[in-house]
Amino acid sequence: MQSESRVTGFFTDSTLCIGCKACEVACKEWNGVPDDGFRWSGVSYDNTLSLGHSTWRHVKFVERQPEIGRGGNAPQGITWEFSSDVCKHCENAGCLESCPTGSIIRTEFGSVYVQPDICNGCGYCVVSCPFGVIDRRPDDGRAFKCTMCYDRQKVGETPACAKACPTQSILFGDLDELERAADRRIAQLHSAGMTDATIWNPKESSVGGTHAFFLVRGDPRAYNLPANPEMPTKYLKPAWTSAAAAAAVLVVGSLLAFAVGGRR
Amino acid sequence: MPGLGTSFGRGGATTAQQDLANADAILIMGSSMAENHPVGFQWVIEAREKNGAKVIHVDPRFNRTSAMADHWLPLRAGSDLVFLGAMIRYTIENERYFRDYVVHYTNAPTILRDDFKDTEDLDGLFSGWDGKKYDPKTWLYEGAEPKESAPGHRPSGGGHGKDRGGEAQNVQKPIRDETLQNPRCVFQVLKRHFARYTPELVEQLCGIPKERFLEIADIYTSASGPEKTAAICYAVGWTQHSTGVQIIRAAAILQLLLGNIGRPGGGIMALRGHASIQGSTDIPTLYDILPGYLPMPALDDNDAQSLSKYIEKHRSPKGWWYNIDKYIVSLLKSYYGDAATRENDFGFGWLPRLTGDHSHFGYWTEMQDGKLEGLFIMGQNPAVGAPNGKFERTALGKLKWLVVRDMVENESATFWKDSPEVVKGEIKPEEIETEVFLFPAASHVEKAGTFTNTQRLMQWREKAVEPPGACRSDLQFMIELGRMMKARATGTPRDAGLRALTWDYADDDSDAVLREIQGNVKDFGDLKNDGTTTCGCWIYSGVYDGENKALKREPKGRYAHGWGYAWPLDRRILYNRCSARPDGAPWSERKKLVWWDEAAGEWTGDDVPDFTKKKRPDYPGDEERGGDEALPGDAPFIMHPDGAGWIWVPSGLKDGPLPAFYEPLESNIANPLYRQQTNPAANKMERDDNVYATSPDPRFPYILTTYRLTEHHTAGGMSRTLSHLAELQPELFAEISPELAEAAGVANGDRVKISTARGSIEARALVTARMPSLNVDGRRVHQVGLPYHFGYRGLVTGDVVNDLLAISEEPNVRIFESKGLTCSLSRA
Amino acid sequence: MSEPTYHDLPLLKPPVWTWEIPLYFFIGGAAGAAAVIGFAARVNGAKPSLVRDARWMAAIGATASAPLLISDLGRPERFLNMLRVFKPQSAMSVGVWTLAGFGACATGAVIAPRPLRDVAAAGSALLGLVMSTYTGVLLGVTAIPAWNAHAATLPAHFAASALASATSLLQLRDHDEPALHALATLAAAFEMWTGFQLERRQKPSNVMRTAGVLSGPLPLALRLLGVKSKRARRVAAAITIAGSLVTRFAWVEAGKTSAAQAMRS
Ligand SMILES: Nc1nc2c(c(=O)[nH]1)N[C@H]1C(S)=C(S)[C@@H](COP(=O)(O)OP(=O)(O)OC[C@H]3O[C@@H](n4cnc5c(=O)[nH]c(N)nc54)[C@H](O)[C@@H]3O)O[C@H]1N2
Ligand SMILES: Nc1nc2c(c(=O)[nH]1)N[C@H]1C(S)=C(S)[C@@H](COP(=O)(O)OP(=O)(O)OC[C@H]3O[C@@H](n4cnc5c(=O)[nH]c(N)nc54)[C@H](O)[C@@H]3O)O[C@H]1N2
Ligand code: SF4
Ligand code: SF4
Ligand code: SF4
Ligand code: SF4
Ligand code: SF4
Ligand SMILES: [Mo]
Repeated sequence: MQSESRVTGFFTDSTLCIGCKACEVACKEWNGVPDDGFRWSGVSYDNTLSLGHSTWRHVKFVERQPEIGRGGNAPQGITWEFSSDVCKHCENAGCLESCPTGSIIRTEFGSVYVQPDICNGCGYCVVSCPFGVIDRRPDDGRAFKCTMCYDRQKVGETPACAKACPTQSILFGDLDELERAADRRIAQLHSAGMTDATIWNPKESSVGGTHAFFLVRGDPRAYNLPANPEMPTKYLKPAWTSAAAAAAVLVVGSLLAFAVGGRR
Repeated sequence: MPGLGTSFGRGGATTAQQDLANADAILIMGSSMAENHPVGFQWVIEAREKNGAKVIHVDPRFNRTSAMADHWLPLRAGSDLVFLGAMIRYTIENERYFRDYVVHYTNAPTILRDDFKDTEDLDGLFSGWDGKKYDPKTWLYEGAEPKESAPGHRPSGGGHGKDRGGEAQNVQKPIRDETLQNPRCVFQVLKRHFARYTPELVEQLCGIPKERFLEIADIYTSASGPEKTAAICYAVGWTQHSTGVQIIRAAAILQLLLGNIGRPGGGIMALRGHASIQGSTDIPTLYDILPGYLPMPALDDNDAQSLSKYIEKHRSPKGWWYNIDKYIVSLLKSYYGDAATRENDFGFGWLPRLTGDHSHFGYWTEMQDGKLEGLFIMGQNPAVGAPNGKFERTALGKLKWLVVRDMVENESATFWKDSPEVVKGEIKPEEIETEVFLFPAASHVEKAGTFTNTQRLMQWREKAVEPPGACRSDLQFMIELGRMMKARATGTPRDAGLRALTWDYADDDSDAVLREIQGNVKDFGDLKNDGTTTCGCWIYSGVYDGENKALKREPKGRYAHGWGYAWPLDRRILYNRCSARPDGAPWSERKKLVWWDEAAGEWTGDDVPDFTKKKRPDYPGDEERGGDEALPGDAPFIMHPDGAGWIWVPSGLKDGPLPAFYEPLESNIANPLYRQQTNPAANKMERDDNVYATSPDPRFPYILTTYRLTEHHTAGGMSRTLSHLAELQPELFAEISPELAEAAGVANGDRVKISTARGSIEARALVTARMPSLNVDGRRVHQVGLPYHFGYRGLVTGDVVNDLLAISEEPNVRIFESKGLTCSLSRA
Repeated sequence: MSEPTYHDLPLLKPPVWTWEIPLYFFIGGAAGAAAVIGFAARVNGAKPSLVRDARWMAAIGATASAPLLISDLGRPERFLNMLRVFKPQSAMSVGVWTLAGFGACATGAVIAPRPLRDVAAAGSALLGLVMSTYTGVLLGVTAIPAWNAHAATLPAHFAASALASATSLLQLRDHDEPALHALATLAAAFEMWTGFQLERRQKPSNVMRTAGVLSGPLPLALRLLGVKSKRARRVAAAITIAGSLVTRFAWVEAGKTSAAQAMRS
């Protein structure tokens, strides 16, 4: 059993990822997630294309021009990079804040968890996630995403995806320890000349950092990791201000109008 | 794997995947290890991350392995031998070889006969060619006596019998020149042989710019020596060529020159296929060997006449194969029990004899010609997995009956109703007379037993769940089948062996089978030739010494001894005596593994010594006593009669003592090295239903190669049927370069038609710079890459890539050429 | 490559909402505004039939809203889970609670015992203010760029649209008070200004433009004519209603289009 206060997370290091998709498959096996359709995409080796209601781990394939003599691990630049994506388990989670049923909660492990017995499929979380993670499964009606293997963590097990990863590209553990490991790793890579390696963890943004963060080479945007993600709640103030102003105009205007021209 | 078998003495990988983590450089070539051995690949990454080892990948495509490598070189499919030959030349010319190792541990100093003629002299042929096959006499060591007929050279045999350490010759003391200067010593012959394999030739034939080659050659060879080691990993990107065995030989030569065999972080990691494919050569599903690499007697050979003739022929005067009598007798005792007596040659006469080529393609051709009545297909899907798919499938239709035992109703079971031939109306189901019996098989998690993995490690699996419905384990099926057959045995002499066969297994008792393999001894060291010992497979003996060691899960030390059991005798790194100098001290502190402990008077170290424990390093060897005791204390290759690693293979290979480059059987490029265009000993099996393009052939301007995807498994029965895998790669695609796409007027995602002399298929075009066009021989060469997992059943379907391939036989192992043939491509 | 993308694939998930939701935005908004109008009319002693019609509009709108919302749920039977919690930071939670209260008040305002009706109507007017604005908040406070870029506009925009549609509906019920016309004209003017703003910020879709034209310039012009002409007023009313409806559909569509775009940030 884990101690109650343990905040866990994922540090996914794409320089170690071999693109085997074992994480994707292990996640589906453990969680009983159905297939996501059998469509060939023509997009590199990526046929699932994104995270979604039926893909909770997703391996991305970023392709660039190869050069003879240079492997993908050469410091000079990237050729074919793989990176395993997952729900970010945001420090400030758009999905969680938006959920009107309270189905989405923060667990004792700091993860963001959708309670499948509560969700009524309103779909508001879908448009509230700044990373396009959570989605409603059409035939089921509920919204799904990575649970950070809440059930496994409850009994002290490592999440299925991390367990299956053959190269330890997916590291699971205490969040603060992972952050230190990431710092060490980035220093190591930089000293080895791989200066394009960066950590993506939007701590400065309104999301306030994520519990699943990534080491990638080159511009994170090439991995669909936005540079400036935003918490939707940051728009609460302007929107409600607008609403309040409009309401005021509405009520005052109506009263005035009828005071002046309420009769034919 | 005779490439390794003849070079080192045993056909298995010389090392363990875990040991790759100790390497200073790793050359992966002819394998996409990250994709096909993803779990083992973690140790390549560990070497890269922890030792700063340089990972080099040489592959026509920039694939997932290249993506993890420090260096990637593309090459024209089928040109590997030029690359490796040039590596060998580079090593010699730049004196990068590990001289002390080469002089003491290899046959480089050995003097050869003066009547040997090299391919350099005979324009691509070695001496001994009779127009059809080689007589290897002139390849022998100077002073060695030839035996009556050379194994691996008889027409009926495959090459899996390997050279059991000199069946072709009686090596006494080879004549050696330790200065390596004698023009007839192996080293000088080797040097001359590869003299024309220059970096320029690499540029010309492989399409690798010379500078890039030199860079890699420098990196790899400088990561070898007393302080460093480098490893090579290969798989079917090397084997599935008409020169496959010789490609592996070239790697073996390179590693011997660099002193990389038997040392930590060195070795040749032969990456095997199916989970227990190593196991299925150890206890073979092959036709030409018996368990433990004992050769199968052949009707056309004198070894079939009696046990003593058999032993005489296959016994080696020195080295481990001196003991073959003990192994064959113990095996016969295990087969026939009390019925095997000294008087009846222990039942040797009951063993089947080879009467011809009974390899897959051998009997499939007979099937096609209506000479075969029935067939069991168990755990195979040749309708998709085997070359010339149409030939394979139509041959099945000539059978009277067919039994398919599988977990899914695969294409081989339904060829009669939904094969492309039926869909196209070429054959009608009602005209096929084959009666097909489909038996549902239990999967590996539904039965107990062992896998012997790619590094000879036996691991026992417990049964996790009961098989569903009528599914039974293959063992159960075989046991019942055996009982039925024994019950039907007649009194005729023909059935005597069947009557004598011991068959007292309880249902599905795999534990009993492992115990029978172990035999009634502690390990194979105790086996005798007098009929008092039994052993089902001598190399495995030791695995069940008191307890089932394959079941153990208590890893200890650097090589995880205590986890499973590696044959022989739990040695993880073969030939590890090489890790110490001739005097028994480690070559270096950094690379120590096994060394001589003078105080204890025995070999010791991190691995179980692959050497007689108490044999002193200065032991001179006792010719009189024969066997292992005839070998001195500084002869690490204990299976070989001279105790040396064989840079030169005096006998055992059907296509030469040294590797020579030949073009693939279909190629648009003329071999600039020799007049001999292709491997003379390879068998094209050309016939009306197995035709070839000419070389060159303007109809088929591109090079075709085939391979695997991580997301699927081989012929697809185990992946196209599972949604979680099928969705990851749902359609057959052809990888082509943007350049070829433009030339063919094809855009990414278009349907394209790919044709060879055998047929046409359709696929989606995946246009990617990862599949580069190359400059070869003064022209631009385009390559087409196809994963071969698709078939006409399952959740996702696609054309059968093997419909494009020809049946052909590499001379030693009779494997087909799946990499590097010619094709055309156009919009569908 | 200044702004690299992942194979030009979108990052965000498009809204899963189908036609029920924009229709609800329209109906709920109109109902809310109607409640406000009814309240203002009642306070100022306007014609009882106008007050009654406005209240009925609010009540019917509220009643029609619930099934629309419920039917769009992935698990309609779990609608009531919405009332497990109240989350002020979730516009949907605020909206559902508002709708619940508004529904109760608006129906109370027409079917409750007479003395209670005015109290209920006052409540419905208060909640109606939220009804006609919060849907703008709902869209604005999301991750969808096309929506959140207009977070400060959408509530007012939707409120104006709601006001315009409510007044227009009442006009089509043959109420011709100048107050209605004035409010509708004001709304049309605001919508015209909004359309102008949107046009300036990014090129709106054709649907959005259509909605804009039907909500702003066209009714505004007719309204100005309509100072004199009842026919013009009625045509303006009809067009306004269409415009208001199309506006909501256009915005939901805009969200979908926006989410389907590759990330540019
Ligand atoms: N996921 C997965 N794993 C598997 C299997 C599977 O189907 N799926 N199959 C298993 C089996 S049965 C086997 S035998 C092994 C095979 O393992 P591998 O040998 O690694 O398999 P392949 O992908 O067929 O071929 C390896 C590489 O050879 C390259 N290649 C093609 N032609 C040439 C050539 O002429 N020269 C060189 N140097 N390279 C060439 C291909 O581009 C490919 O990248 O994998 C085993 N593991
Ligand atoms: N073009 C081209 N062709 C190739 C290759 C290539 O690289 N290119 N590679 C070749 C190689 S290396 C190989 S190994 C072959 C593989 O070719 P095959 O061996 O013909 O193909 P598999 O799909 O591996 O067939 C194994 C079958 O066994 C079934 N099975 C699994 N477990 C069990 C069990 O416990 N019992 C029983 N009875 N059945 C079981 C599976 O469902 C599956 O249908 O393909 C070869 N063909
Ligand atoms: S990534 Fe999206 S789904 Fe995951 S916690 Fe953050 S907001 Fe929620
Ligand atoms: S769909 Fe489910 S999880 Fe998402 S916001 Fe609605 S109730 Fe919450
Ligand atoms: S943590 Fe669990 S649910 Fe989340 S991606 Fe990994 S395996 Fe799937
Ligand atoms: S399992 Fe690990 S190595 Fe494989 S794709 Fe996932 S993250 Fe990458
Ligand atoms: S499937 Fe099995 S044998 Fe193949 S890589 Fe995975 S663990 Fe190893
Ligand atoms: Mo294989």
